Order: sequence, then structure tokens, then C-alpha cells
Amino acid sequence: MQLARVEGSVTSTRKHPSFAGWRLLICQPLDSDMEPGGAPVIALDSLGSGMHQTVLLTSDGAAARKAVGDEMSPARMMIIAIIDESQEDQ
Amino acid sequence: MKLGTVIGRVTLSVTSPGLDGARWLLVSPWTRDTFIHGLSDGNQITSESSLVIYDNLGGGIGDVVGYIEGREAASPFVNPPPIDAINAALIDKYFYTPRE
Repeated sequence: MQLARVEGSVTSTRKHPSFAGWRLLICQPLDSDMEPGGAPVIALDSLGSGMHQTVLLTSDGAAARKAVGDEMSPARMMIIAIIDESQEDQ
Repeated sequence: MKLGTVIGRVTLSVTSPGLDGARWLLVSPWTRDTFIHGLSDGNQITSESSLVIYDNLGGGIGDVVGYIEGREAASPFVNPPPIDAINAALIDKYFYTPRE
């Protein structure tokens, strides 16, 4: 899984039907010292993640397909947890 | 899903089975800078290497698309073709407020 920070959202009317009704959030993956690393990705969100919250992303399509309830959905990146705070051993 | 700008279309001549009759878009993937500064300077191509995605949503040149890579790209098929990138959404608008 990947730690990321919610930094926005996208709207799309013409998309794969299994995404209908899902929030599509722009998530910026974070590296080991919680700084932006790499390009933002768009993840499905059902937890109501808020702006600038740290979340946990999964890229496991099987879990995403189950969540959207469509075994033929291309869904992949999905927010599976909202992080309170993460401790690193200094 | 990742964002990218459609910069061209690809027509295949000889294909492996299951790929004929499909529509292919050439996409330039967005980087973090593209999200922040947008593509206003008319330059549609980013520093990332472009890729070809399978399309059945009707994306055109200049559109912003959300594409999905990996095995999941072949999920929406009864007998999956050998593809690893598919157009999953035509993006209308994006709202981006990075935390500085």
C-alpha cells in the first residue's frame, strides 16, 4: 500500500459505469519523509476523506472491483484508510 | 487511475488476435507540475514518456483522460485482450489545491 495526501478531486461524466457515484480524489503519493513523491494519482474514495488528509492507497484491483460491485470494472487505486498520524522511529 | 492529455491517435495494421477494431489514443502522462501549473502554455506534452491506451469512451486529441494501467486494464472484457492501459474516464474538470 501507499501513503498519500488528498490534494483535490476530479469530475467525469463519461467514464466506466462502475465508477458512477464514486468520489474521484487526487492523491499525492508521499515518500519516506512524508514529502510529495511522484505524480498524483486518482483514487476511488468511499470513506469521505477530506482535503489534505493523509490516506492509505491500495492498487489491488480485486479489492476495488469488489468495492464497486462489478467484476469487469477496471477500478484499481482506492483509498482504504484515513491515517490519524504516522510515527517513524527517528 | 492517472491523468494524461491525449496528444494523438494510433492506427494499428497487423495486430495480435483480440486487438482488431479497437481505438487507440496516444497520451502524455501528467506530472505533479502539470497538476500545479496546468497546460496553459499550450504545451500539451509533459516530461513523462507517452503511452498508448485502449479507448472506447471516444477520447479526442486535447482531451484530459483518466487511464488505468496494469492487469486491471483488461478487466472490462469477456475474453481479455493483451492490453495494459485503458481509458477509464474523460475528465471534465479537476480541482487541485496542494498543501504548501
